[in-house]
Amino acid sequence: MAPSIVLTFVFVYGFIGFSGFISLSQWKRPTRQDLTLRSPFGETYVEMFKEQRFQADMRNVVVFTVLFLILTVAGGLVMALLVHHLVIAKGLFRTVFLLPYALSFIVTGVAFRWIFNPSSGINVWLGDLGIDNPPKWSTDTTVAFAISHPSGDGFWQIDLGIPLALLPIIIAAAWQLSGFAMAMYLAGLAGIPAEELEASSMDGASWFQQLRHIILPQLWPVTVTCLILLLHTSLKIFDLVVAMSGSGPGFVTDVPGIYVYDMMGRANRYDKGTAAAIVLLLTACVFVVPYLIRVYRKEGKSA
Amino acid sequence: MLRNRVRVGLALAATTALALSGCGGAGDSGSQSGGSSSLEVFSWWTSGSESEALQVLQNAFTAADPNVTFKNAAVSGGGGSNARTVLATRLQGGNPPDSWQLHPDQDLMSVVEDGSVADLTDLYKQQGWEDKLPETVKAMLQKDGKYYAVPVNAHRANVLWTNPGLLKKAGVTLTDDTSVADFVADLPKLKSSGVAPICLGAKDPFAPAQLLESFILANVGPDVWKQLMTNAVPFDDARVKTAVTQFGEALKYTNSDSAVLTWDQAAVQTAEGKCAVTLMGDWAYGELVAKGKKDGTDFGHVTFPGTGTLFDFVGDAFVIPAQNAPDPAAEKVWLTQLLDPKVQSEFNLKKGSAPVVKGASLDGYPDYQQGAAKAFQTLPIVSSLAHAQAAPAEFATTYSDAVTSFLGSKNVDAFLKTMTAAQKSQLGS
Repeated sequence: MAPSIVLTFVFVYGFIGFSGFISLSQWKRPTRQDLTLRSPFGETYVEMFKEQRFQADMRNVVVFTVLFLILTVAGGLVMALLVHHLVIAKGLFRTVFLLPYALSFIVTGVAFRWIFNPSSGINVWLGDLGIDNPPKWSTDTTVAFAISHPSGDGFWQIDLGIPLALLPIIIAAAWQLSGFAMAMYLAGLAGIPAEELEASSMDGASWFQQLRHIILPQLWPVTVTCLILLLHTSLKIFDLVVAMSGSGPGFVTDVPGIYVYDMMGRANRYDKGTAAAIVLLLTACVFVVPYLIRVYRKEGKSA
Repeated sequence: MLRNRVRVGLALAATTALALSGCGGAGDSGSQSGGSSSLEVFSWWTSGSESEALQVLQNAFTAADPNVTFKNAAVSGGGGSNARTVLATRLQGGNPPDSWQLHPDQDLMSVVEDGSVADLTDLYKQQGWEDKLPETVKAMLQKDGKYYAVPVNAHRANVLWTNPGLLKKAGVTLTDDTSVADFVADLPKLKSSGVAPICLGAKDPFAPAQLLESFILANVGPDVWKQLMTNAVPFDDARVKTAVTQFGEALKYTNSDSAVLTWDQAAVQTAEGKCAVTLMGDWAYGELVAKGKKDGTDFGHVTFPGTGTLFDFVGDAFVIPAQNAPDPAAEKVWLTQLLDPKVQSEFNLKKGSAPVVKGASLDGYPDYQQGAAKAFQTLPIVSSLAHAQAAPAEFATTYSDAVTSFLGSKNVDAFLKTMTAAQKSQLGS
């Protein structure tokens, strides 16, 4: 027990702390370590948050996370309900729906890049159906429902809204991971006592009422676990975006993962790369820490 | 006079010693420092033509020093950015390869400032290389009068690849003398002939960055370009503004799927008649030929309008480590092979680039490459910013990011403002 605690502290928390320190230092080029603090304190973060690119990254990751979680969890739930009520070939469908989860994001990304290529892919079908102006998918620079339009002089350098180019990437990610959500929901569904459902149908409850009042409430813990597990996937998303669209014109599909990689590997800015990584870590903490606190409290009660 | 003679004597003695230690290692490898009898060469040359070209260098080294094993430590992916990440880790850990690839000029200067690469001035003097390289290129390999890298090839970035059939159909002629303003004025004419005038492979951020670079070069010329890279001329200069405005205008005439297209797909689509022109470095030539396209019928080439009198240079060079060098003797033998005219000739034929050394034979070179090789020896040479050669990596990334932002916003003033601010904070320490 003790050695593993020491190792965790050194290799996880120690290095997180070191990253935090680098982000406040003047270490730019990897081969020239300079750990003197940058002044004014935290200037790297200020510089970063003023950048058009980083602002776009934060917007994109929020939009991506929200839409991806909704789509994946809803898709997983629907598939789980379908499979659960199947009489025949249950195993087959379970496998088929779970299969995409076994792929790597790079494979998914390449396949969906072809599917959503505006001049080939599904736009060919849409053209056959008589649609003259098919969507431009990942090449669209439109930011829908924008609530701010930057003049160029203020703090905001970006349109705050939903970049349409992100949608194909969200669909690809949801396609890959809703099978995983389904598997979790199937486990949850198996845990619902059949007596409760029988009793309710004796009382004349419709299927929808059963779903609303018996099934969904009991699946709530599964949903929360699912959201937390998927959240880290969406915050650290990198390979899928690289394979599908890269940063995109005007950074409409750029994400913090690519930003960190570019700053560390290409721009020789260790300080900025680690600063972005720390921001990413804090974003994850905002969601994960309350969840962990809740879980530990429950464990404490039951013990 | 006497001092010179002493120096020559010392150099000779040193060479003899090197040669002897090289021979000695063969029979008695245990006595050699570190016992290393291999030469590890680090590069990002992994694609077909690149690895064939690297093979030429490997063969030359093995022939010159048969007792040392050549270790190819190429890292693929990301146009060299993956390799750079690996290399940085190794340098930091005090475990450098025997020799590694980088770009001349500012890319080299940052490692020279770090003190990670060895001074090669003696080798230059001993080999007489100073007389065999173009003046501007020599300047890109030196700091404070000392040489630090050996160049191997020269790619030209300012080449416009054309589709001759489509140009003819639209009644547009492009020559090396066409001005950039005329080119922009021709774009609507090309569009009305029913195809996308310009193919842009913007999935690679360097492609649009390189296109804007050509517009800027066409408007400011080689001297002001160099001044832009040292903050002697600010980016909000009227000529740069004109260039960015023209670039914005040209973007209206690019293919609709540019965001998901890579540079090589853009080049092939031009040859296949999906667009009239595409701007790309002359590594596209090899790509087109490899895809079975014929120069003159399927595709043509002119220098980017307004840049016919300059050579936008993207080159590769090799350096050896200053500290922890595993095998200095073998490293020198390796570097010596790189500028041998015969090796240069064979290597660059495979790589699709121009030899850097004067007097390398161009026998068997295709017409395009012969022209580029002559241009390199005669025209003014500037370094490419899109390929992080003209300025330090940080500034080059800022530039590339600003271009990507511009693709979305088309905001000329915001671009100029970002770049002018970056010049102040990132250039000139």
